[in-house]
Amino acid sequence: MAMRQTPLTCSGHTRPVVDLAFSGITPYGYFLISACKDGKPMMRQGDTGDWIGTFLGHKGAVWGATLNTDATKAATAAADFTAKVWDAVSGDEVLSLAHKHIVKTVTFTQDSNCLLTGGNDKLLRIYDLSNPEAAPQEIAGHSSAIKKALWCNNDKQILSAADDKTIRLDLIKTVEAPAPINSASLHPEKDFFVAGGEDFKLYKFDYSTKEELESYKGHFGPVHCVRFSPDGELYASGSEDGTLRLWQTAVGKTYGLWKCVLPEDLGAENAEQLYTTTPEI
Amino acid sequence: MLFTEGNERLNMTTPVSVLRLPKGPDPNSRGFDPKSPRFIALCRTSIATSPASEADAEQLPREQHARSVLRESFLRCLLSMANKKIQFHMYERVTVEATFRASDIDVLNFQVSDLHTPIGVQKEALIRCQDVILFTFDA
Repeated sequence: MAMRQTPLTCSGHTRPVVDLAFSGITPYGYFLISACKDGKPMMRQGDTGDWIGTFLGHKGAVWGATLNTDATKAATAAADFTAKVWDAVSGDEVLSLAHKHIVKTVTFTQDSNCLLTGGNDKLLRIYDLSNPEAAPQEIAGHSSAIKKALWCNNDKQILSAADDKTIRLDLIKTVEAPAPINSASLHPEKDFFVAGGEDFKLYKFDYSTKEELESYKGHFGPVHCVRFSPDGELYASGSEDGTLRLWQTAVGKTYGLWKCVLPEDLGAENAEQLYTTTPEI
Repeated sequence: MLFTEGNERLNMTTPVSVLRLPKGPDPNSRGFDPKSPRFIALCRTSIATSPASEADAEQLPREQHARSVLRESFLRCLLSMANKKIQFHMYERVTVEATFRASDIDVLNFQVSDLHTPIGVQKEALIRCQDVILFTFDA
């Protein structure tokens, strides 16, 4: 029997959500961090969307946010010309790295020892976090603002994307989407990928056949970022409407706050605890 | 008739049930609950014993005595500051003068009166302790 997707809406931000990232799987579950133009990145429990804390300190819009694999550290990139490193357990600011312009992207290496930043000053910088006073290694080459940079190939290479260049590193697949797409994420098992963009909808495609499998309305503004959780059971989307939504990969499965309920159970006593329509926030 | 945001195909399929909604932010705090299992397991809540003392059982009581003496003198200093004019030297070469009133329990904020700033005198203010490098006053 077909079930209808119930997205979980995480409110709290007051401006568009422009970036989000998941941590790896830790003994305490996995976590999610969201970057917002309101300057207050938030950390949430990854499988439920429950708010854990807000990182306070930036004085401008936060454009990028990331967690390290074990969710003990967070890093954020902001319009106040700084990238900050935070203790993701206590919420305290640990390091503030001054830049010469708006910082757009931050990412840790897998061992959390180095931090890569990039932004409107067109330089990539690599900071050694065990020696933060030392000047970062700088890599020039882009002729316009850097929007996103990632480590790849076991942290041996950097993949970066800037405003005027088309990045094609071994182009594997191209898929046509019904609307301009802002962000996409591949499922950990590489069965699907999800994408979201200017028409406010989320799309799910089969990775091998490129067929559009599902699409969902729900956001009230363009979708800026979408990411799969590390276990692939859900994906999170951040939007211009200031919310994050969590979507199930397998609709109807019991996971996190979603509960599989058979129709005959809906009349039973425990049904009062279950919401069968999406409550408005 | 259910009018909900959701699938493209609006038919009689049952929406997935949800136990509750995700919890939102607490308006009064920045979160990171110190009572959560993760915080207790991973976060240092105080400065740890120095490695030298951990190794040497005789040195430990001396270190603990020294720490309690320092803590007591810091607390007495805060007491003696009450209602006095204090000069706070802060980052970005900022120096301000104010009358100290009280500190909060974790020494995160100082409550002050008549804070003299380059743009005027603030009758009542909170100074964030992490912004202060040092403060001086006449005892």
